[in-house]
Amino acid sequence: MVMDIQLASLFASGALIVIGLFAAIFIDNIIKKVIGIAFIEEGVNLFLICLGYKAGGVVPIYLPGMTADWFAANSAYPLPQALVLTSIVIGASTLAVMLALAMVLYRKHGTLSTKEILGDEK
Amino acid sequence: MIEYIIIIVAVISAIIALLQEDLLKAAILVGISGFCVAVLFQLLLAPDVALTQAIVEGAIVPVFIALAVYKTNKGGA
Amino acid sequence: MNYLIPLLVVIPILSALIVNIFDGKDKTVKAISLVLGILVPIIAICATVGVQYFGGHNPSLLTSSLPANLVNTLVAGYNTGIVYAFANIERIFIFLMGIVAFLAILTYFSEKKEVSGPYLYLIFMGLASVIALLLSEDIFNMYVFFEITALTQVGIIVASSTEDNYEIALKYLILGAIGGPMLLLGIGFILGTIGSVNIADIIFVISNKFVQPYSPGLVIGFALILFGWLYSAGLPPFHTIKSAVYSKARPNGSAILQGFSVLCMLAFGIAMYKIFAYIPYFNTAIIVFAILAMVLGVAMSAMEVDFRRMIAFLAVGELGFIALGFGIGTQMSIAAALFQAANEIVITAMLFIGFGSVYYLTNTSDTRKLGGLIGIDSKMAIMVLLGGWALAGVPPFNGFQSKLMLVQAALDAGYTELAILAIIVSVVIFFTFVKAFHNVYLQPKPSELKFVHDKIPKVTVFAVAILLIICLVLGICPNIVTDVFIPFAGGLI
Repeated sequence: MVMDIQLASLFASGALIVIGLFAAIFIDNIIKKVIGIAFIEEGVNLFLICLGYKAGGVVPIYLPGMTADWFAANSAYPLPQALVLTSIVIGASTLAVMLALAMVLYRKHGTLSTKEILGDEK
Repeated sequence: MIEYIIIIVAVISAIIALLQEDLLKAAILVGISGFCVAVLFQLLLAPDVALTQAIVEGAIVPVFIALAVYKTNKGGA
Repeated sequence: MNYLIPLLVVIPILSALIVNIFDGKDKTVKAISLVLGILVPIIAICATVGVQYFGGHNPSLLTSSLPANLVNTLVAGYNTGIVYAFANIERIFIFLMGIVAFLAILTYFSEKKEVSGPYLYLIFMGLASVIALLLSEDIFNMYVFFEITALTQVGIIVASSTEDNYEIALKYLILGAIGGPMLLLGIGFILGTIGSVNIADIIFVISNKFVQPYSPGLVIGFALILFGWLYSAGLPPFHTIKSAVYSKARPNGSAILQGFSVLCMLAFGIAMYKIFAYIPYFNTAIIVFAILAMVLGVAMSAMEVDFRRMIAFLAVGELGFIALGFGIGTQMSIAAALFQAANEIVITAMLFIGFGSVYYLTNTSDTRKLGGLIGIDSKMAIMVLLGGWALAGVPPFNGFQSKLMLVQAALDAGYTELAILAIIVSVVIFFTFVKAFHNVYLQPKPSELKFVHDKIPKVTVFAVAILLIICLVLGICPNIVTDVFIPFAGGLI
């Protein structure tokens, strides 16, 4: 094997961020823009989790029978995992607000196209 | 080996979701991609994040998107 | 142990939840939000300076319980919990923001018979999150509150029921949903390089050269955090959407929204300055965006005929002055930037509420259709004029003091061009404002102008008067705040 799982996941997170950015900027349909934003968030979360990974390590849960020194030397870094838990929830709530706004705007304009909805303001 | 398959499925389903004409299918593909990332979290030694991700991105977000698609289809036509 | 520091965040969140529960019972909601709203500035005055370690994670106390092989390492000094630091500078900004929020809530009550619980919920939640942004010493915690602020700003626009507010809200949210993850990615790069998200730890590690200061991770992290900062502050390229956001909210809502932006900008600006000031092109990057904000904001405001959009662009232009102070990067210029930020919160809130009374009276904000309003309420007209002078930097108001400080700092640092640019921009602001004032208040009243309300509520006049008094006090005795800002700026460098 050439790549280990950490490097491969970093590439995957980069790919998800780029795909999501492309969709959020260039695709016209609002729902697809929202899907793209969901991918950006997923990619960033994956990036953060990759930072804490330790090849050959253990899950950062302190079980009976482990000594503190062995645990500190072998567990994955738990701080990014704690951060990602919060960030997943924030991402989901932002997404829900965006979809709600998209639904309201659909009722008003009768279309999901960003150009037609946002074009005639100002 | 399994991790490469999962990574490839996650990225490919993300791309297909954005190329898809039918938005309901896109919502399901978002769920597949989210679930693959959840499995990846498990492999990257983050089991509790994997649980949250599987529930939120694998189930709740696709349901939100599908609901929005359903609502926006019915009202205008 | 100082329990008042966490209370500064807890009380707004608590009041947000309570007013939301009591939605529908107008009197209860009004009483609760007024009492709890005035509590925030009072606590800001009473709280003593200190540091709050959440969860008892005080590193100096925890050292004894660490495993033996960690005691003398770098990790032993790391902060493992969220840390809130409260100093005199936070006291000033939280006090001013609390007063502005309180007065905005007061004017909201006077202009509407029925009050909406969810709207007040959003205001209080936003207040809590910007206070937490200022207090927090932890960049991830700042990211969380940054997202909450963005969501509450969107909520305030959606709740304002003005024309096209949903479109602007969606646009702002989509940009925010790109800016937020970029900020988080930047935080991720810093976390990956250094292993901590606490600002004090990051500074410690970088200044002692435990990591390579110019490592790609840190530089990319800086670029991504700069992007998030530009979004949160509404500097170019986000100035159009930010000013649209201000002009789509109700007047009291825009007064609060601009305060949120200033505080977001300040919190991230200070954090960025603390962490990245050693990067050589840091100053250049910030000065470029500051100049763009000043020139574009003022130029676009001069072309506007809608006075709410005009003030919104002026507010963005004023943000450029703050960024300019950070960009020049001397002790006096940073102190001037902080002083300018404090002034901007008060002055712009006052102009939004004051000019908002015109919208309240006539339900239009197009300066071509307005005129002769000085006959309705001359007191308000004079106060708005004085507020505009304060914005443009006419003595004896606070805007003059802070701009004088900024221009002097720019001259001392050798940036003569920037000093001249700042003066020119101030003059343009003055003319733009006087033109709008003439159109709205002094020119003869157009015959087709109709009034929806007969007179301005007394509470609105009172709110504007209070803000004007704060402007005047800060203008005559700037020492009250500059005595705090100058040592703080000295500590940053």
